[in-house]
Amino acid sequence: MSVTVRLATPLRAAAQGSASLSFEATDLGSLAREITARYPELAARVLRDGEFGRFVNVFIDGEDARFLDDGDLRGKRTVEILPAMSGG
Amino acid sequence: MAITLERITPLRGLRCRACQVLQPADTRYICAECYGPVEPEYDLAASDANALREKIARGPHSLWRYADLLPVAEPASHFPVGWTPLVRAPRLGAAIGIANLFIKDDSRNPSLSFKDRPVAVALARALELGLDTIACASTGNLAGAVAAAAARNGLRAFVFVPATTDEGKIAGAAAYGATVVRVLGTYDQVNRLCARLADEEGWGFVNFTLRPYYAEGSKTILFECAEQLDWRLPDHVVVPVGSGALLTRTATAAAQLRQTGLVDDTPFRIHAAQPAGCAPVSDAVLDGYREVRPVRDPNTVARSLAIGAPADGDGSVGIIRASGGSAASVSDAEVQGACALLASTEGVLAEPAGGVVVAAAKALATRDVFDDNGSVVLYITGNGYKGTLDAGLLKPPIAADADEFRAAYAEVLG
Repeated sequence: MSVTVRLATPLRAAAQGSASLSFEATDLGSLAREITARYPELAARVLRDGEFGRFVNVFIDGEDARFLDDGDLRGKRTVEILPAMSGG
Repeated sequence: MAITLERITPLRGLRCRACQVLQPADTRYICAECYGPVEPEYDLAASDANALREKIARGPHSLWRYADLLPVAEPASHFPVGWTPLVRAPRLGAAIGIANLFIKDDSRNPSLSFKDRPVAVALARALELGLDTIACASTGNLAGAVAAAAARNGLRAFVFVPATTDEGKIAGAAAYGATVVRVLGTYDQVNRLCARLADEEGWGFVNFTLRPYYAEGSKTILFECAEQLDWRLPDHVVVPVGSGALLTRTATAAAQLRQTGLVDDTPFRIHAAQPAGCAPVSDAVLDGYREVRPVRDPNTVARSLAIGAPADGDGSVGIIRASGGSAASVSDAEVQGACALLASTEGVLAEPAGGVVVAAAKALATRDVFDDNGSVVLYITGNGYKGTLDAGLLKPPIAADADEFRAAYAEVLG
C-alpha cells in the first residue's frame, strides 16, 4: 500500500532535498518504521521513541491523525507532517 | 541570502524547547535539529534591576517600554500597542466572591484585542526582514490585529478564518484592506491550510514563520501587570486559553521578571479558563494534569477560544501544574451571564472570551482556589464591540412622550 509523505521545507534537507517521498505502509506505525529505515535523519526530527512526536501534527488525507482510529493508512494517499503551531 | 541584523536587544539566539539546542536568530522558525519550537533567549544575567526599572519608566506608553525583554526593536512606523489599564474590580469581586480582584483591560488596544501585542512584535520582525506581506490563521481577533498592522505600515495582508467567525469581527479586518479568506471548517483545518501556505508563499505568517517573535509579544501583558502593581507579581492570574500561547508566555514573562530582579520570587499561580465546548486544556488539568486530548469539533459562543488542538496545550498544562494553578471550563450560558455582569459592574464590555474568564474565576473562587485572599488578575483580552452583541436586553422603541416613557420603564424607575 503506497502513500505519499509531503514534507515542509525545513524537513527536506533531512530527505536529500525531496518535497515528497513514497512509502509502503499500512498504518502510521509501519510508516514510522519505514522512515527510520530509509531516512534516519528525517526520523530523528519527527519521531520520538518510534512514534510521531508531540511537536509535529500528522494529517492523513487532510484529517488530523489524532482523530483517526489507529492511524490506518489503507486506502489513503497522502500524509502531511507539519510543525505543531497555532495562533488564535 | 544571509541577513545580518543589527540589534539593540540582548537577544542571545533561539533555543529549542524540545532538544534545548541554542541556534542563531536567523529566518528559521522551527528547530533545525529536531523540528521542535524555538523561543528567543536573552542575556539577562547582567541586568541591574533598578536601572532597568528606571529605563522602563522613561520608556514609551506602549509595550515597547519593555524593549530590553523583547527580541526586536520598536519600529518607527507603528501605532502604540499595550500599556492598557489594570483596574481594581470591587463590585465584580463582590459578585463572584473574590476580595482582591483586578481586571487587565486589554480590550483597549488599537484593534480592540490583546492580539495587537504579538502582532506588534511580529510586525517589527517582518519589517526587519523586509517582507511586504503579512498573514495569519485566526479565530477572529488576530485577523483584525494583522489587518490593522498591515494597513498602518503599508503592507499587504492575508487573513484566514473559519467561515463561522463573527461577520462583524472579520468585516473589520476587511475594512483595514486585508484579503479575508473564509474557510469551510474548524480553526484547526484553517491552521493546516496556513501551515502549508506559510511554507510555500514566503509571506510573514505571524503565527508560523514569525512565530518565535510573535509569541514574545504576549509576555508584555504580564510585564505591565507587574509594573502596575509596583513591581510585584499578582498572586493569581486567570488566563483565557485558545492556542495556549498567552498562558505559556505569561509564565515566560514571570520567569524573566524574576531573573532580572524586577520582581521578587513570590508565589504566582496561573489558572486556565476555557469554554466547556472547547476545553482540552482545562479538562486535562482537572483530570489530573494529563496529556491534552484534542477536540475535533469545538462548539462555543466564545469562538475566539475555539482551538481544538492547541499547539501550546501540553505546555500550558505543565506550567499550570508547576505554578500550583488550576482550571475551569464554563457553559455558554455562564459565559453570557458573566459578560453582562462584567459590563454592568465594572463598565468593561468584553467579547465572550472575557465572559469565559469571569465565569471561570467565579468557579475557581467557589472551589476556594483563591483562599489565600491574594490578588487575582483577570485577563480581559477582547472587546465586546468587535462581535455581534446580544440585543435581547433592549426594550421596544417608544414615542417621544414622557408618560409613555414612565409607563414603559416603571420597573426601572421604581
